[in-house]
Amino acid sequence: MIENTNSELASEPLALSKAIRFCHWLSVLAVFYLLISSWWMLSLPLPSENSTFRVLPFQLHKNVGITLFLLLLAMLGSFILRWIKENARTDPLQQLTAKIGHGSMYLVLLFCCLTGYLSSSFSGWGTELWWLLNLPQWAQESDDLNAFFSDLHLWSCWLLILLIAVHIGAALHHSFNSDGVTDSMLRSSNKD
Amino acid sequence: MPEHYIDQNVAVASRLLIVLSILFGVLFFASNSNELLKQGVLTTDAFAALQAEADCRADELEEEGISLRECELMLVQVEIALESSPDWFRSVQQILSASGIAAALLSIGLALNLSANSGSSSRFSLRILVWVLGGLVVLDSVMFIAALQTGPLLRAQYLWPLLLWFFIHLSLALGARTISKNINDKLSYPAGKF
Repeated sequence: MIENTNSELASEPLALSKAIRFCHWLSVLAVFYLLISSWWMLSLPLPSENSTFRVLPFQLHKNVGITLFLLLLAMLGSFILRWIKENARTDPLQQLTAKIGHGSMYLVLLFCCLTGYLSSSFSGWGTELWWLLNLPQWAQESDDLNAFFSDLHLWSCWLLILLIAVHIGAALHHSFNSDGVTDSMLRSSNKD
Repeated sequence: MPEHYIDQNVAVASRLLIVLSILFGVLFFASNSNELLKQGVLTTDAFAALQAEADCRADELEEEGISLRECELMLVQVEIALESSPDWFRSVQQILSASGIAAALLSIGLALNLSANSGSSSRFSLRILVWVLGGLVVLDSVMFIAALQTGPLLRAQYLWPLLLWFFIHLSLALGARTISKNINDKLSYPAGKF
């Protein structure tokens, strides 16, 4: 139904498999859930023997974060391939900015997940992955290292929001231009 | 206006509808997921266990980078949520936010299907999308009415975002309906039959 109005101006977009597109949209949902819920959960009363308000939100945050990290690793191969073959854009400058934008967002996402996990590891709080698997406590409790990784986690998340804004802005720009660039994330490849 | 311009306008409008439905679907999903979590966590039992006294250890305050007063107010915020809401509010909010999550996911799925397919399959997706977006408008209205029954402190938190969602979903629903109608009219009266 939706035909490209200017797509003839661009070369054929690199279509992605259903699995990769599914992972992309799943990670989008996870990232936005993590962002919005983290702002709220940090306003909850501090944890203590009697205060349990933060237990469920933090466990869920860690579970979704770890799952997102694994999802990103699973998508890494496809991402690198797309990064090299980026062929939907005819403008070399646009190709370069897209590569930098996608690459930096991928790196910051992975970094954000990793620093969150490290911060949690040094906090002394255990992690039970989806209430099924107790992850081993491999690090000794350390307030300094917890604070250090927590700061890195926080600042990388602010940077991530900036990159997401640019990414969505670019996606909207290409959609409004109907140049076929966003099709790779919306449409099936012929191989599907 | 020449025929191909009208076709092009419908194609551009459809593309905008797809992208905006996905974008707002993701945001609505995240917002309702957080609301569902909120209603699961802020319980009277958990508050009673604290005996209305904030536990603010100096090392925790330093770690969080907050003052003693801010720590105390965190508990007050929970108290506001519990005191301002009627007994039925928590369970109703859980049902409404779970419905919001389902509707958001459905709208994202339909928008993706609309973009990926062509012909009767995408026309069917568009018709369903009109209903789902219309359902979201109704859901926003019910959420708004439910929030109206709470106290002023909670109303101040809920009403404005709900009003914003109402108009976003209304715009998308009406846009989707217009596109669907244009396509149906085009199929009913193809070029040359006039």
